Amino acid sequence: MSSTSQKHKDFVAEPMGEKPVTALAGIGEVLGQRLEGKGFDKAYVVLGQFLVLKKDEELFRDWLKDTCKANVKQQGDCFGCLKEWCDAFL
Amino acid sequence: MSSLRSKSAQDISDLLDEYGIKHGPVVDSTRSLYERKLKEAMAKGKPSKPSSDKTYYREEEEVTYEYRTPVRSEGAGDRQSYSSYSRSKPEYRGQNSVDEPYMYDTPSTYRNSFMNSTPMKSPDAPKTPKSSRLIPLWVQFAFFLAVAVFLYLVFSSMETNESLKGIE
Repeated sequence: MSSTSQKHKDFVAEPMGEKPVTALAGIGEVLGQRLEGKGFDKAYVVLGQFLVLKKDEELFRDWLKDTCKANVKQQGDCFGCLKEWCDAFL
Repeated sequence: MSSLRSKSAQDISDLLDEYGIKHGPVVDSTRSLYERKLKEAMAKGKPSKPSSDKTYYREEEEVTYEYRTPVRSEGAGDRQSYSSYSRSKPEYRGQNSVDEPYMYDTPSTYRNSFMNSTPMKSPDAPKTPKSSRLIPLWVQFAFFLAVAVFLYLVFSSMETNESLKGIE
């Protein structure tokens, strides 16, 4: 994978616990608020959605775009972050 | 198609399978995504609903009846024509774009549709004599001849001028 951000590295380094949704790579203030508005207030809730979508990239990207209007880069960052976290801890 | 909202989760799941859309469980949080995907898939007009990737030939007989009910009354051999319809449907698209430069194809499709007594390409049922052409063939020939004659006249009139010698 191309270079990952510090946020990504921080997130995949440890169990996510109660981290807020803005801790996810690709999810900043604006997207975070939109997600929280839809009920996804913690990172683990987005993780739940990621898992329910069977960790499929296309589905997750579509869902993220629909839910918080993430652009392609943000979708990719978030997906990559969650995927790597799952690979390490799930 | 009735509203997707009113369908059960199992129905949505079945529809997704029919359209060949990869999906997970249909739960509250995923439902709207899958409904949107189904709407897009339906809008694309995917012909095969009961069977997505199987061959079209026999299974779609029943769907034929629903889909082509208005046309069916026009001809008797709907089974044969539908199978050739669905088979030729992808070909139709290819043929349609190819038909434009290659006009020899037209008489055969015209003859075929005439023989089946049901046009192979149902959208062109009202236009069978013109066999899926926006501009009739004879009009195209006439236009071509007219343009050729015009160019000839122009060229021949140019020849009498000094300008042609100048070009040489």
